[in-house]
Order: sequence, then structure tokens, then C-alpha cells
Amino acid sequence: MKSFTATDVLLSQPEASDLLNREAPAREFDRLLAANGPALGRLAASYTNTSSDRDDLFQEIAIALWQALPRFRGECSERTFLFRIAHNRGIAFLVRRRPLNSDVSDDLEIRDPAPNPETGLLQEQSAQRVAAAIRRLPVGYRQVITLMLEELGYGEIADVLGISESNVGARLTRARQMLRELLEEQK
Amino acid sequence: MNVDLELESWRQQWQSVSVVPPDLRKRVDRQSRFLKIALILDTLVTVGIGGPVAVWAFTSPQTDIILLAVVTWILTAAAWAFRLRVTRGNWAPASLNTRAFVDFLIGRCRSQLAAIKFGAVLFIVNLTFCTAWVYHHTGPHLGLFSWPMNIVWAVTVAFYLFLPWWNRRKKAELARLVSLREQL
Repeated sequence: MKSFTATDVLLSQPEASDLLNREAPAREFDRLLAANGPALGRLAASYTNTSSDRDDLFQEIAIALWQALPRFRGECSERTFLFRIAHNRGIAFLVRRRPLNSDVSDDLEIRDPAPNPETGLLQEQSAQRVAAAIRRLPVGYRQVITLMLEELGYGEIADVLGISESNVGARLTRARQMLRELLEEQK
Repeated sequence: MNVDLELESWRQQWQSVSVVPPDLRKRVDRQSRFLKIALILDTLVTVGIGGPVAVWAFTSPQTDIILLAVVTWILTAAAWAFRLRVTRGNWAPASLNTRAFVDFLIGRCRSQLAAIKFGAVLFIVNLTFCTAWVYHHTGPHLGLFSWPMNIVWAVTVAFYLFLPWWNRRKKAELARLVSLREQL
């Protein structure tokens, strides 16, 4: 299993115009996946409830990215482009597959397990709790909250989803409220 | 709890999850190869069926053989149109925004439903023409339940069992998409 650090991600964040110079599309693709792999994996997990479905969706996202990359002309930021592709594949996957059953647990992997096994277990449980609660949100809210948790701004989220920034704000407020309630229920 | 601290705490928990499938690059390469091979196979089948018929019509320009070549190419073109309609834009509009993408999926699903009716009619036309032509060309030697015809009937039954199943599936998909659009 490949792992990525925050430094890897920061060092490989180029300007959108860098994508226009495509001497090596394969390298470009690898760089994008290396930089955004963990985020795309989390996003895939928000649309699925088993690790095999998640990996299938991740693969679909990667293929769609591979196909779409040559047509990217820098009309939007690189992150917007990536997350649009990922969410669109997620939606297509959701429509094809049976509805999410949030009772089925997922085997999530924690990037930085704590040195103390007990703390690590607690951290893992709490991460799983948040991920499970997010999967139970309606799709429109789930998309907004996952993008917000991936540190996209209101403008970028609006660009990814094709809604207004005020709509993003309204959905985020409602999504947070629902997420809070779901987490309370789980306690 | 402070609202921003709450979001930050969720973010930390959310980002602590890292799930990157191994060998992703290899899988993408393999899948891309499959897509290319599928397209090449479709083209080969088209050329493999249409080519010899066209050559036959060119070398033996009799009315029934020319008719066979013309109808074969018309039906092949119709089958390609059907296929392109069903698979149109599987990957192409990947980078549309989500709302536009869902509208695109709804449009594609509706055209797929229309294509199912088109496919059903096309198959009947094809079957009727081919059996009539073969009967006309070979005379009454080919019985309705001879082994070549049995293969044709088996394919026909399989095709008409598949179509309602596919139709139901596409209708369910359309209903899910319409409901999803309301949520977005």
C-alpha cells in the first residue's frame, strides 16, 4: 500500500498552466495521483461501503482522469478538475449500484497511527465514526462536506458542483447540523 | 464546542484516512487496453461481415446479392448508431460540474431507453430479411428447425430476454438519477 505525506502533496501542487505543457502525460497522471491519491480515496469511500467497491470506484476515477487529462485546458484549477471527475464518477457509480447501506462497516486505514496502540485504536474508531456518518448524509450534503473537509474554498466547491456559493454555504450549514446529529446518535 | 474547532476536528479525523489501492497505474493501463481492444474487435466484426458481402456483390453483381450487401451495410450502420448511442460519452464529459454531469447522465439514460426500442425493431428487421434472403437463395432445403436456424432462434430468444431486463434496469437507473438531481 502506497502512502503519502503532507510534504509530498505540498511539493507537487503545480499551477494549472503546468498541465498545459504535457511532454509526459503519463508522468503528469502519476504526479496527480500521487499528490491527490489519499483525497480521491476518501472521496471514493464516501460513495461506497465496502473496500472492494471503493477500490473499483477509485480505479474508475483514475481511468476517467486518464481519459480527461489530455482535454484539460486549464479552464479551472487542477483541484476543481480532479474533484469534478471524482464526484462525477462517484455519482455514476451510485446510480449503477444498489443504494448505500450504512450498516455495513468499512475497513478504513489510518495514515498516521499513534505510537500508543490504545490512542491509535481510539483515533481509528473516531475516524470511522466520522466517515460512516458522512456516508449517511444525503448526496448533496455529503459532497459539500467532503469537499470542505478536503480544504476546498466555497468558490471551488461551487465550481465542482455547479451551484452558487450561497447555496454552498446553505448546504454546508445543514450538512454540519446533520453530521452533528448523526455523530450524537452514534455515541 | 466552537464551530471552527468542530470542523477542524472532523477534518483531522477525515484526513487521517488514507486509502490508495496498490498497482492503480497498472490497473488503469490494463483497462485502457481493454477499451481499445473492444473497439478494435467491433471494427473487425464490422469489416469481417460487411467486407466479404461487399466483395461478393462486386464480383457477382446479381440483384439479390447486391440487395444483401446494401441491407447488410445499412443494418451494420444502424447497429453502430445503436452502440454509439448506448455508450456515448462514457468518459468524455468527466470534467463537467456535477449538476451538468447528472443532466448529461439523464439525457444519456433516456436515449438508451429509446435505443432499446430501436434495437428490438432492428433485430426483427435483420432477422426477417436474413431468413427471407437465405430461404430465397437456398430454396426449401433449410428447414425452420435445422441446426443453423436453431442457433438463430436461440440468439433471438436470448436477445428478447435480455431487452426487458435491460429496459427495467435503465428505467430504475433513470428514476435514481431524477431523484438524485432533486438532491443536488
